[in-house]
Amino acid sequence: MNQSPILKISHLSKSYGPVIALRDANFEVLPGEIHALLGANGAGKSTLVKILTGVITGDQGVIEVSGKPITFTSPDNARKGGVAPVFQDPALIPDISIQRNLHLTGTDKSRFLKEISAMGLEVDLNKLASDIELPLLRMIDLARALSHDPDLLILDEITAALPVDMAEKVIAIMGAHKAKGKSVIFISHRLAEIEEICDRATVLRDGINVDTFDAAEGSEERIVAAMLGDKNLSNTRNLNRSNKASSEVLLKVDSLSGGKLLKSVSFQIHKGEVLGVAALEGQGQDLLFEILAGETKPHGGKIVVNGKEVTFNHPDEAIEAGISYVPGDRKTALMPQRSIRENLALTRMRGLRNWGQIKFKDEDEKVDGAIRSLEIDTRARSQVKRLSGGNQQKVTIGRWVTTGFDLLLCFDPTRGIDVGTKGQIYELIRKFADEGKSVLLFTSELREIALACDRAIVLYEGKVQANLEHKDCNEESLLNAAHGLAVKK
Amino acid sequence: MNLMLIKRQSWNIGIVLIATFLGAWQISRLPVFGSYEARTFLLGILPIALLSMGQAIIIIGGGINLAIGAESVLINCLAARFMVGKSFIACVMLTLLFLLVSILVGALTGLIISKSKIADIIVTLATSFILIGLAMYIQPSPGGGMNLTLAHLISGKGSAFLPPLITLILPLVIIWLPLYRSRTGIAMYAIGSNKDSAFLSGVNVDFTRIKLYAVGGLFAGISGIALTAITLSGSPFASISNTATLNSVAGAVLGGVALSGGVGGLTGPALAALILYFIPTILLNYGIDPAYSQIITGALTILVVLAGGLIRNRGKKK
Repeated sequence: MNQSPILKISHLSKSYGPVIALRDANFEVLPGEIHALLGANGAGKSTLVKILTGVITGDQGVIEVSGKPITFTSPDNARKGGVAPVFQDPALIPDISIQRNLHLTGTDKSRFLKEISAMGLEVDLNKLASDIELPLLRMIDLARALSHDPDLLILDEITAALPVDMAEKVIAIMGAHKAKGKSVIFISHRLAEIEEICDRATVLRDGINVDTFDAAEGSEERIVAAMLGDKNLSNTRNLNRSNKASSEVLLKVDSLSGGKLLKSVSFQIHKGEVLGVAALEGQGQDLLFEILAGETKPHGGKIVVNGKEVTFNHPDEAIEAGISYVPGDRKTALMPQRSIRENLALTRMRGLRNWGQIKFKDEDEKVDGAIRSLEIDTRARSQVKRLSGGNQQKVTIGRWVTTGFDLLLCFDPTRGIDVGTKGQIYELIRKFADEGKSVLLFTSELREIALACDRAIVLYEGKVQANLEHKDCNEESLLNAAHGLAVKK
Repeated sequence: MNLMLIKRQSWNIGIVLIATFLGAWQISRLPVFGSYEARTFLLGILPIALLSMGQAIIIIGGGINLAIGAESVLINCLAARFMVGKSFIACVMLTLLFLLVSILVGALTGLIISKSKIADIIVTLATSFILIGLAMYIQPSPGGGMNLTLAHLISGKGSAFLPPLITLILPLVIIWLPLYRSRTGIAMYAIGSNKDSAFLSGVNVDFTRIKLYAVGGLFAGISGIALTAITLSGSPFASISNTATLNSVAGAVLGGVALSGGVGGLTGPALAALILYFIPTILLNYGIDPAYSQIITGALTILVVLAGGLIRNRGKKK
């Protein structure tokens, strides 16, 4: 293959403030090639795609299309340059008809209909985009991109949560596009698809391309190895695992389903146990936590707390049952303009249930206790929004310390937090477990599972893919299970 | 297919039914109903209907313009001050000039919102004060006028009800219809519906917002000219502009435009203006205090929006 590449990226970098999303990415796509782009969460994939499609511009580095250096300033600009993306969330305007959506992007209607019928699908052009189911909407978005006959098609996790028949159609379309001598960048968490259709694969880690190789049967292991890198797990501090988990079951969840993503999840948590939840993005974990917290209602399944079946109509009822929720987005949990004190005391107000005065003395004691035990930096105590992310996270956990709970649901509590604070948060979680409380912990950083949890479950496509004891909670097993592969014991 | 069309037009159909019902009621109370009474109706709704349409365009695009009444009053005062005693030709030229001013005022508002990233509601609240101040400077007290030939061309005379009807419908046909079918029109719906998707579809969000406010301004300008033709004077009062602004929002919302943006059209708001006009008129006929009619108008607005929202949500659920 000595053709000149259709796309060449050299030394591309991008930072958001102090956060480096893309460090030094180098990567080539040849004409007539299907190239897989891989990487764990936060490896820089989505940043790279955003730069390639003109949504954002990179800080440094060169993008060459057919040998010419180019900077895409807008998605429209990229489309005219022959690069057409299709995202997991279709870029169709919800409140207007498909026909008007096509008009908006200047797509030729008859070409679009040709592409749609080639997929064996039918579309009523007068329907509003919001009236169409997500899988079909993605195919419409794909057909629209194909109508522009792009030299480079970028498919960003388009097959995620897509029914099998539709996913097969996407694979077939990629094959046909390749047969025309055009190229595809394919991003997917389904490694089997990558082996099946891709010619080569590039793996990103920490914003750098770490490996590029021919994708073939059996390259799974190489992919996983490249995604993990040589991260030495032994030098991360291991917490004292007292394993005081009792045999008493606190929470039992039986074939719970909800929303579009959560299919059937069953597990149980013992008293004094930290159960980890690992999953790639969009496998239903958000819903699982929201349902347990009483924020969303399940479609089916049972939740049993302390031997009693419960249904929650409101988060208040979950809190009453001893289940407290620390959401992933700190902004939804906190009142950013108010003081640490008020934020910590907020959930205690539940108990008052009257219009009487707040007992400030009692409140002071509790709040001060929480601040001490959590080591919250109180220099900016008057407004929580001025605290660092780590201290904000401590406040969201701390309010439940002042209130009391049996089960704490922590959704990705260490996202975007520095290493030191991370350690403190995990120590705190361990302390809860030692006190006989239970914790359900989702984290997007797989290696933290082994660090903080007693056991772990791995979700894949809305179901429990694996149930791992602590000794099996290594990154490789977790990553394999998260990609829907069997775990080697 | 037909069913879908009916579903989508259900709001307009509902509004037509309510307006027809109220209209029939009002007509039945009148001793005679002829073209003279028809013209009176039309003159009653013309300025607010045009203003509701302008507001509707902006709300569809995801904004809101609290200065739209002030834009209309400003054009009203400009027209009354400079057209008084002028010839027909001069007045026509001035009309075109002032409509251009209204477009520029709107575009400038959109530009400030786009560039400053300050919320629409705050920017337009501020510009409403500025515009009313300008109107008072131009026409310190009620007065002025317009060439009568032009005034009759716009608002009719005696029992000639066709001119005001044309003034009402013409902007819809020559401005809105072509716009609705153009890429710019779709882009306006797109930025109101989902800014991110619009951006990914290649829409220049900032420029579209500027055009949005410019077109809204043009409708406010037409409304101001119509007001001048009807009253033959300019009135620089904040109370007039504030009431007009609030009525324009009520008209847009009652006419099926969702405040969240991206949904609705201009026919609904134009018809809704009829309802806003009929309720107080009918109640006044029965000798009921106008304050009560405000209560009924408010209650009806909530009911219609509630019912419409329920119908829409039920359609979405499946």
